[in-house]
Amino acid sequence: MAQTRSRSRLLWDIVSYVVLIGLAIACIGPIVWTFLTSLKYEADIVTKTMHYIPPRITFDNYVKLWNQSGYPVLVINSLIVTSVTVLICLLTGTIAAYAFSRFQFRGRTQLMLGYLVVRMFPAVLMIIPLFIVMRQVGLLDSTFGLAVAYTSFLLPLFVWMLKGFFDAAPKELESAARIDGTTRIGAMFMVVIPIARNGLLATCVFVAIAAWNEFLFALMLTTSQGSRTWPVGLQLMVGEFQLPWGMLAAGGMISILPVIVLFAIVQRAMVAGLTAGAVKG
Amino acid sequence: MATLSINSIRKSFGAVEVLNNIDIQLEDGGFLVLLGPSGCGKSTLLSIIAGLETSSGGDIVIGDRNVNDVHPKDRNIAMVFQSYALYPTMSVRRNIGFGLEMRKVDAREREAAVDRAADLLQIGHLLDRKPGQLSGGQRQRVAMGRAIVRNPELFLFDEPLSNLDAKLRVEMRTEIKRLHDRLGTTTVYVTHDQVEALTLGTQVAVMKAGVIQQLADPETIYTKPANMFVAGFIGSPTMNFLRGTLEAGAGGLQLRHAGGTLAMPGLEQDASTHLGREVVAGIRPESLHGGEAAAALTGIVDVVEPTGPDTMVVVKVGEQLLTARLGPKHRPRPGETLRLGVDAASINLFDPETENRI
Repeated sequence: MAQTRSRSRLLWDIVSYVVLIGLAIACIGPIVWTFLTSLKYEADIVTKTMHYIPPRITFDNYVKLWNQSGYPVLVINSLIVTSVTVLICLLTGTIAAYAFSRFQFRGRTQLMLGYLVVRMFPAVLMIIPLFIVMRQVGLLDSTFGLAVAYTSFLLPLFVWMLKGFFDAAPKELESAARIDGTTRIGAMFMVVIPIARNGLLATCVFVAIAAWNEFLFALMLTTSQGSRTWPVGLQLMVGEFQLPWGMLAAGGMISILPVIVLFAIVQRAMVAGLTAGAVKG
Repeated sequence: MATLSINSIRKSFGAVEVLNNIDIQLEDGGFLVLLGPSGCGKSTLLSIIAGLETSSGGDIVIGDRNVNDVHPKDRNIAMVFQSYALYPTMSVRRNIGFGLEMRKVDAREREAAVDRAADLLQIGHLLDRKPGQLSGGQRQRVAMGRAIVRNPELFLFDEPLSNLDAKLRVEMRTEIKRLHDRLGTTTVYVTHDQVEALTLGTQVAVMKAGVIQQLADPETIYTKPANMFVAGFIGSPTMNFLRGTLEAGAGGLQLRHAGGTLAMPGLEQDASTHLGREVVAGIRPESLHGGEAAAALTGIVDVVEPTGPDTMVVVKVGEQLLTARLGPKHRPRPGETLRLGVDAASINLFDPETENRI
């Protein structure tokens, strides 16, 4: 009996490992493949027989990308757009989320639903009106304009996520702080935000990654090299008669670096933030 | 220290009236307990005193200052919450000193005040810990330290002991009483625990559905309850209610009930206006005893519950069940007939229609 049980457990373990390893390969495989491609000479990329491991290693693709294609400008633009988006969300979204979490006011539910509805429309539907608005206010083809456009669909996500974290912070703490001598907004900054800081960090990282990787809006709302972001820049390298696989792979590798670094730094706090309130502490 | 006047305070949420014309005057250094079942409005009243909620009408006066439009931080009050509401990201030292920090008290002075409060509550060794590293009792002490450090005019306690285990609750209750005796700060204390109310309060306000049922000192509340709700809410086991008709007997008034007649010699209450009418006699379990007395009831023993110092005996008199608190040596058997002496002077008579004390 005991033997049967341990045998079936072993079987389950094997099945679990096979499935998990399969999923891990499916996730990591393309990144490894891109990395290997970025180290190959152009002649070794498109060949009759497949070379999984590069026969010769070169960093030419990285050097060419950095020096010739204006890639540093694209990365800097992306950094600016991402930072501005996160900053706008942080400044306006935090206060909005706090208000939704703590105050009962007329139209509160409708506003919250409105925020959700914005997320339900496909991005394509919003692009044309947004393009017209941006052109009229003169924000077309600017990093700030792009950040504002990103805010239009990332702010609802930010507010909804953060509201959950604020809801989890006990209201009595603010009452205690208000009696102790803070104002309502003071209680928010001195007591509630320090408690919800991991959640705030997690929410910011979500918004930052979404802004960093965004392609469609960036393609439509930017027209010059001066304001383009890296996903658009990379896509525009694909010409009618050329497909620079090596450089594209190198660009891909460079652009995931900030995301990996960001995750490495905030990973612990983020997991703590995302699981906060899941288990009674 | 200051007096507290609660004048005609009303509070309604839409059509629901939560507080209905509450009037309480508390003397300087007094200890008012707001007592009542869940949802009676006692915590709402406390929040209104604290300024955390606005009233729909009426005035709150602390000392000689009307504080209706004063922000909680400017009312010079301190509050201890049921969940303690300690700031989890701050050390115990900063938690206690936070109120002083917000009032821009000089750091050295603040440290000294925090140390004094910590010494008083014997939590000096915990000052550098975070609230998460403390036990329930220690958190409770820190919350009290945060309240006393500012030397406020008014202390507010919102069911501060309900999250503690039974033993700690008794300890902390004594601690709160000692602290009040020592500091003499005017205090408002919300609880649903009648023992806390009777042991701590100089005044007890028993509330039900947003209305004060009785406001008096603990002894009056216990011995002369204003109505059947207060009589039934205070005391454990609760007061026995024996229905019957009031008659004039040889030695004074007597109650004819389904199980016989109960003479009530020495009854303090003047109930002659209700002669010949139906009344409810409220008899505390300890007013029923095993000895002989001029007033007596006879019934069949239903259940016997020995608790150690007492034996609770449920007796069926006519169709009504009464509980008697007898000495530990009394061990009647279920089913046997028991004659109980009644301390008639302590009987309270109620009007069954209005449920008020006659």
